[in-house]
Amino acid sequence: MDKKKLGIMEIEPLVRDRYIQDEFNLIGKRGISRMCGKEKAGGRAEYTRDVQLPGMLYCRILPSPYAHAKIKSMNTEKAEALPGVRAVLRYDDPELADKPLYGLETKFNAGHLASDGQAFYHGKHELAVTLEQWKQGAGRVLDGVAWWEGHPVGAAVAADTPELATEALGLIEIEWEELPLVLDPLEALKPGAPLAAEEINNRNNIIRKLKVEHGDVEKGFKEADKVIKFDARRRPYTVADAEPMSDVIQWKGDNVEIWAHQQQAYDGKIIFGMKMGIPLNRIKLHVPYQGSQFGGGGNPMMHHTHGVHIISGILSKRTGRPVKTFYDRKDNFYNLSQDTDCHTSFKVGFKNDGTITSVKIDNICAKMGQYGIDHFEENTRIPNLALNYLEANINVAPAYWFRCEQNHNALCLSLVIDHVAAALGMDPVEVSLKNDGAEGRDMEYLSKFKVEHGFPDRDSLAEAIEMGKEAFDWDSKWHAPGTKMLPNGKLHGVGFTWDHEWDDTRGTACAGVLMHCDGTVDILSQKSDDGLNAMTTHCQIVAEEMGLKLADVNFRFFEEVGFQMMTPDGSCNLAVDAYCTRNAAREARQKLLEYATTPVKVLEIEYPAAFPEHHPDDLDVKDSIVYLKANPDKNVPVAEVVKRAVLNQGGTRAPLFTWNWHRQGRYGTEEGRHRLTRQAYFAEVEVDPETGGVDVKTIVNINDVGKAISPETCEGQQYGGDYMGVGRALAEEVIYDPKTGVKLNANLIDYKVFTMRDIDETVNLLLETGMGYGPYGLNGIGECIATIVPGVIGNAIYNAIGERVDDHPMTPDKVLAAIEKAKAKRGDVK
Amino acid sequence: MKPFKHYDVNTLDEAVSALQNFAGKAKIIAGGTDIVGMFKDEVFAERPEALINIKTIPNLDYIKEEDGMLKIGPLALLEDIAHDELIKGKYTALAEAARRTASPHIREMGTISGNICQQCRCWYFRSPNNRFNCIRKGGEDCYAEEGENRYHSIFGNVKDCLAVNPSDTAPALIALGAKVKTSKRVLEIADFYEKEEPKKTTVLDDDEIVVEIQVPQPAANSKSKFEKFAIRKSIDFPIVNCASQVEMDGDTVKSARVCLNAVFANPYVAQKAAEYVVGKTLDEETVTAAADLALQDAKPLTKNAYKITIAKSLIKKTLLACK
Amino acid sequence: MVQKHQDDGGGKKITLKINDNEYSMVIEPHWTLREVIHDKLGLTGTKEMCDKGACGSCTVIMDGRPILSCMTLAIECEGRKIETVENLEVVGNPLVEAYADNHAMQCGYCTPGFVMTAKALLDRNPDPAVEQIKDALEGNICRCGTYPAHIDAVLDAAKRLEGGKK
Repeated sequence: MDKKKLGIMEIEPLVRDRYIQDEFNLIGKRGISRMCGKEKAGGRAEYTRDVQLPGMLYCRILPSPYAHAKIKSMNTEKAEALPGVRAVLRYDDPELADKPLYGLETKFNAGHLASDGQAFYHGKHELAVTLEQWKQGAGRVLDGVAWWEGHPVGAAVAADTPELATEALGLIEIEWEELPLVLDPLEALKPGAPLAAEEINNRNNIIRKLKVEHGDVEKGFKEADKVIKFDARRRPYTVADAEPMSDVIQWKGDNVEIWAHQQQAYDGKIIFGMKMGIPLNRIKLHVPYQGSQFGGGGNPMMHHTHGVHIISGILSKRTGRPVKTFYDRKDNFYNLSQDTDCHTSFKVGFKNDGTITSVKIDNICAKMGQYGIDHFEENTRIPNLALNYLEANINVAPAYWFRCEQNHNALCLSLVIDHVAAALGMDPVEVSLKNDGAEGRDMEYLSKFKVEHGFPDRDSLAEAIEMGKEAFDWDSKWHAPGTKMLPNGKLHGVGFTWDHEWDDTRGTACAGVLMHCDGTVDILSQKSDDGLNAMTTHCQIVAEEMGLKLADVNFRFFEEVGFQMMTPDGSCNLAVDAYCTRNAAREARQKLLEYATTPVKVLEIEYPAAFPEHHPDDLDVKDSIVYLKANPDKNVPVAEVVKRAVLNQGGTRAPLFTWNWHRQGRYGTEEGRHRLTRQAYFAEVEVDPETGGVDVKTIVNINDVGKAISPETCEGQQYGGDYMGVGRALAEEVIYDPKTGVKLNANLIDYKVFTMRDIDETVNLLLETGMGYGPYGLNGIGECIATIVPGVIGNAIYNAIGERVDDHPMTPDKVLAAIEKAKAKRGDVK
Repeated sequence: MKPFKHYDVNTLDEAVSALQNFAGKAKIIAGGTDIVGMFKDEVFAERPEALINIKTIPNLDYIKEEDGMLKIGPLALLEDIAHDELIKGKYTALAEAARRTASPHIREMGTISGNICQQCRCWYFRSPNNRFNCIRKGGEDCYAEEGENRYHSIFGNVKDCLAVNPSDTAPALIALGAKVKTSKRVLEIADFYEKEEPKKTTVLDDDEIVVEIQVPQPAANSKSKFEKFAIRKSIDFPIVNCASQVEMDGDTVKSARVCLNAVFANPYVAQKAAEYVVGKTLDEETVTAAADLALQDAKPLTKNAYKITIAKSLIKKTLLACK
Repeated sequence: MVQKHQDDGGGKKITLKINDNEYSMVIEPHWTLREVIHDKLGLTGTKEMCDKGACGSCTVIMDGRPILSCMTLAIECEGRKIETVENLEVVGNPLVEAYADNHAMQCGYCTPGFVMTAKALLDRNPDPAVEQIKDALEGNICRCGTYPAHIDAVLDAAKRLEGGKK
């Protein structure tokens, strides 16, 4: 390669965008109907699961019955002979020889995990395995070795009906060699533990190590008035998404069409194209509505995201028919991400006034763990921090980000603040305000930063707390832990926690705005609709910026048009993506006004403009009408302006089309790009001291979203996150048989997703300080609530019992044990 | 699902003869909410060949008082039982149990006979494709004993099987002293459950079906109450449930019946608790002692001792509610 | 209506009455009603989520009751009056618009199941109290957790029904 010196394009990581409130017609307004609403509620919205093509075959992949085993031999003859079976793909077929599952071709890769991933600024990761081994870590599209029970291995069958495909799987005869397995990260790290996957690491089960030190923790402990130590545990929960995974692939000559249930569908297309040797311009990608994703659908190292495409693709090519590879509900439990298993120990030093001087975290996680230190760095003024992180491989299903990668970071912050408050007998609200800051700096520093960078200088946490205290009636409800029994015999508890808002940090997005000759607009960009109302919110923005009626704007994101928006769209929907829709819309508006004022001469014929005497600056657009600012009575509908200009085959102007690209931040949260917005959570619970049952009475969320584009959509994230978060706090847990590693609750009866009845009341309030890095000063909201709520529920349970549970989920057995412990401490005779 | 044979029948006799024709290889389908799930998951070691649909038999969904008792047809739906004014008023525990069963949709489909006949929910037994060929399926081992047994029996095993009966209505019917009329006999409902052989849930022969539930009219001074503890407030099977019926004589208890479920292979009649409260007033102290007695014989497994505490609480709550 | 024992226990031709249409077709015993409605008839609003009777996403109304089509054998549905979500816009039921206006969905996958459960409620009780709505919808799972909005949507639809619209 030519060693030509490349110039470096600077990306401004501190882009911010002020807005002036109350000047919008559509942005921030309530009562705007959800644009996809009737389609979804009326049962007309199409999901990948619903796609059926003429002659389509159904493909299923063999799930391993063992948590760790090798295929010694496999006979597929009987399956092949079953009438209606059209093709059987074997793991040893030549088409699969060079098909690792690993998605190196996309931006997600081992390098990303090693150096540019979450929380990357606080030190160098040490991979315990080589990059090559990391790649191996994903296995192959169809492997001969299973690393977890349910691992798609051995063979895939395409047949005329789903039940025939399933039946054929049952006819495949396999001689297995069962291998020893390990299921707990602590066990996995002991000397002599069975190797979870010798193909990745043949010495031990360590995958990743990380050490971080800021300041001097030992000095911090010496400066402290008190030092406490405690342990916490978080057991894995899983996505359990609504729509079971499927994809459809159809070969048409040299072209391929893909229907993908995938959060980052374009990445899937790239991987598919490269692995199958198909030019990307020969692949047509359809992304129907997505029956939820939550980030778990974004793991590039899993079958779910692109292994299935390769299997469908090969089988479609072989059979000449469209192939739908599908998971049933159980398969979905195996192959979609789960959150990881964490064992964490804390040592915390603090002053008697609640100022924390030092935090040391020892954290052992399984697969794709989360460090636990990040939010102390990003979010507090605590000067001395240390992390010792170890990540172990075990024989359970893959782990990946699931609403979201900050789960453990949020819980660790919440636990430390609440433990300190308890040790001092202080209100946790006070302890939180004492330690709020960023990267070891205090609020004074942050104020200066805000002013220097043009942000409003508001104290987001103080404001959020004030709103929340009032809505919750905190000052009269809060009491010392373990001191309030209600007339109904239940223990009353209230909890508080807080965090910063991290959903505006990263990614790139690209979108086009195309005005048709009738004055209506299509936003052109491909993204997956995971339910965050991107359709309506982007249309609001474009309509607002162009002066159009909302009904005149549409966002058709289902078809790939070469432009992609940043997904996961939960994290980055508006904070990243709305920059490009907004900027493209502003440019389109300008073009429209040029069309309105500039006549065109073609040969001898002059085509008059709508406002030939005027300059674009003289005009404005409102409700899809262009008018003269000085004399609004002089007006022409947008449709009239563009009709003559861009009418197909008779047009005089180029299509009214603009596009924009935006890069937001780097990747993850980077140093010096301080998080400015905060969120505060309050919860009230009643604990039955006889059963250990926890009734969640009220949750109050205050989220500083910077600026809400669609308040109802933000609220949807708030109460939606509440239910998921409470479920994680109290019930959601992937349960394995300790001997075989078989997942015992891979169904929605035993894996408990919470229902309408499981929270009495949620109160969701939005704070708008304009301190987000997104356009209009906004930041996201999708990830944080479900991530933080488990912490506040834990704090409320502690406040009720007077003893900590600190082992999530806080199931009745653990709650009862804590109650017994509290009784024993009080010396209750029972 | 894999294919199977399916027959509609018009009469109970036809149902019985269809069962006889298949000599143990057919099952009855009523609401289907249990059997269809087991067929989907290939739970059975040896799968039944046929389903006999009895929903085509007319007039089996009645709820009526007759001959001094409440008679419920085998096809009466749980939702109708839950909302029946007569049952809510006089046979309260049954209405409450029906109301707390599963979810509204399941109650709109599920029948009372299906609910008392349903299979256990042990996750080893239910693991798809017969992944664990446990004792209940004719295998050698109970995988729960050393495995994940947080929801399993606290009163020991039946031939090593530690699964529990998950029915919500069964303990209510037992507390109410109900009888089950089958195509062959009339049984006290407590005797309806198989005590010796874990491969069977009930004592029903292969060619025997439930034809009626009969609940005696409660005495004038009696009340009944059902309580359920589960993680979620809807959908879930019980971790423990309990029903009590108490007949009072002035301030003291004349007679009582207390039944727990989801604590043992069969609904567990808490005889000691019931006997203890007779002749006493129902106060906190009495019910606490009764509950402690009832759980005296509990033998918790590695992960389910908490169920003892919950069971005690439910006994107390249901008894106090009958005051 | 019901055939006597002459049947061989296998598939048989029956007529399904769905949304006022009659479909005569050979139904195999192991086909669930959901499979027939979604896969064979292409009425894809009836969604597969848990496939075990634990989530409500496949709810259809059969003879006035909200039932789970994934746990119902299609062969047992001859002559029953079945309504699927697709019928609501056809008959102008206000639930669909009320759901859109109240943002009572996020990803939308479970939404038709909620809507049909709510429809069955409103058919029986056109003016439900909040607790009655919770009683009706407590068996529907929404992974996005949209629950509070459903209550607003159903109350809104009830109000619109009162306005004389059907």
